[in-house]
Amino acid sequence: MDLLETMPVSKRAKQTRWAFRAFGCAVMGFLYIPIFFLVLFSFEDSKTVGFPIPGFSLRWYQAVLDNQALQDAVRNSLLVAALVAILATIIGTMAAFPLVRGNLRFPSVIRIFVTLPIMLPGILLGVALVTFLAGQLHVRLSLLTVIAGHLVFTTPYVVLIVASRLQGFPRALEWAAADLGASPARTLRHIILPLIAPAIMAGALISVTISLDEFIVTFFTIGSQLTLPIYIYTQIKFGVTPEVNAVATLLLVATLGLLAAGGLLGAVRSARAAGRPKEES
Amino acid sequence: MSVVTAGGTRVPPATPFLVRLKRRLVVLWPFTPITLVLTLLFMIPLGIMVVYSFWTTRNLNVVSDWTLSNYIRFFTNETYLRTFGKTVLMAALVTVAALLLAVPFAYFLVRYVSARWQRTVLLAVIVPFWTSYLLRVYAWQAILGEKGALNQFLLATGLIDAPSRLFVYNNIAVFIVLVYMYFPFAALAVYSSLEKFDFNLFRAAQDLGARQDQAFRHILLPAIRPGLITACIFVFVPVLGEYLAPTLVGGTEGVLISNLIINFFRGVQYPAGAAIAILIAAFVIVLLVIFRRYLQIEDVVARG
Repeated sequence: MDLLETMPVSKRAKQTRWAFRAFGCAVMGFLYIPIFFLVLFSFEDSKTVGFPIPGFSLRWYQAVLDNQALQDAVRNSLLVAALVAILATIIGTMAAFPLVRGNLRFPSVIRIFVTLPIMLPGILLGVALVTFLAGQLHVRLSLLTVIAGHLVFTTPYVVLIVASRLQGFPRALEWAAADLGASPARTLRHIILPLIAPAIMAGALISVTISLDEFIVTFFTIGSQLTLPIYIYTQIKFGVTPEVNAVATLLLVATLGLLAAGGLLGAVRSARAAGRPKEES
Repeated sequence: MSVVTAGGTRVPPATPFLVRLKRRLVVLWPFTPITLVLTLLFMIPLGIMVVYSFWTTRNLNVVSDWTLSNYIRFFTNETYLRTFGKTVLMAALVTVAALLLAVPFAYFLVRYVSARWQRTVLLAVIVPFWTSYLLRVYAWQAILGEKGALNQFLLATGLIDAPSRLFVYNNIAVFIVLVYMYFPFAALAVYSSLEKFDFNLFRAAQDLGARQDQAFRHILLPAIRPGLITACIFVFVPVLGEYLAPTLVGGTEGVLISNLIINFFRGVQYPAGAAIAILIAAFVIVLLVIFRRYLQIEDVVARG
């Protein structure tokens, strides 16, 4: 039972509490109502999105399964996201070490250098990349240029996440390992990496999600092969059908599944680390 | 506890420069890949864009005639200036609205929701934000559009007789959608600082005779100021570069500065587009430098 509930409260405090609860519910409604209708319309047996709903069917899900262009786009997106996540995680994790432990000369300058790519609006990175790659170097735009673009704003996320984990890292453990004769490489492999693994995983996961979802930088750097957001965008711009809603619903389910799996994995691991069976959490 | 060598204590000789350099390199080399990536794919492209913004286009080719005309054109064209002003105004209004929602919401979470549930509610706020950005903008067409839920609701209650087109493809639609998109950032930033605040301080101030508004202004507000500023930056800055929302729900009325930039790049007028992009980048960088002391980027991006 909530402590606040058991305390004797004045009538006014009670009213305030209800007002805040109602407000909280309203905000949650604001967040979820659009998603509710997005999903609802995916089951609509009609060629146009919206009311009136003549009936319900799964035909748009069938359409998704039959849509080759869409599946190509999904494959491209997954390929890009996987490569981006691997590269960003390696590069970002490496960079976090000197950032936290290197006694850098100009910490604030370096901090700006690393965080600017995620603080500037994406469109600026997009136009800068297209100016440089296509305008100046005459590189042919392809999935490779998309990967290069995504790398710029996913790596900083990995750096920030891993660095914040390293900040609170107990150095005594490393010294103990060194005292016991472990080489720096061995200490890294058996002491440091296992301890910061959750942060590295979180960084990789965030890179995947951001890359899969990225629109504006991709919009500028993409060649003839489409990623999923670009494909969906062209669908929305030119003749939208509930098929887009079906894709959206499938994506939502996939994301929730991934999150649940990640959360479950984390819960199991932390329960195991604490040396007790998993409790209801 | 000290280790004494057989020969007694020795004064170490001054470390030679090359040894010191080698030690620095051992520590610093892992920073090389990110330096390469960010220099090649971020700093140099931005630099090239600055250069391009001083060049001109002739017959769809960019030529290196140094000129200020791209900037002069921007500052003398009423449409461009108005769009820029409108974008800044929109960003400011969205920021205010997102904060007006986020502050009471974070307060509600911290004060009226048990610690056990706070994580769940917070997760529920972030989940929509993990789903496709593009599709969440699109979702609003299903609410505001001619065949959307709002029209259906108004028809059912008899408030209107025919579906209205007035709810979408205008500035208000862009505003609502942007508040929706950026509210989670603001909520997260404000929550992070409010969560750390010890409300006993607030009570102590009142015990010592401060009125509620005085306690709020002098005790609570200074403590959560970094969170508020972080929230402002995380809403204001991305809205300046917002393209999807104005394009999908804004119609011709709702265009923002990004639509202008993209039109220039579509027309291969790189220098003109680059000039506007540089102006926005400069604006953002000035903001970031001014507020850098308060900015808690990790609170928003590194909460995992």
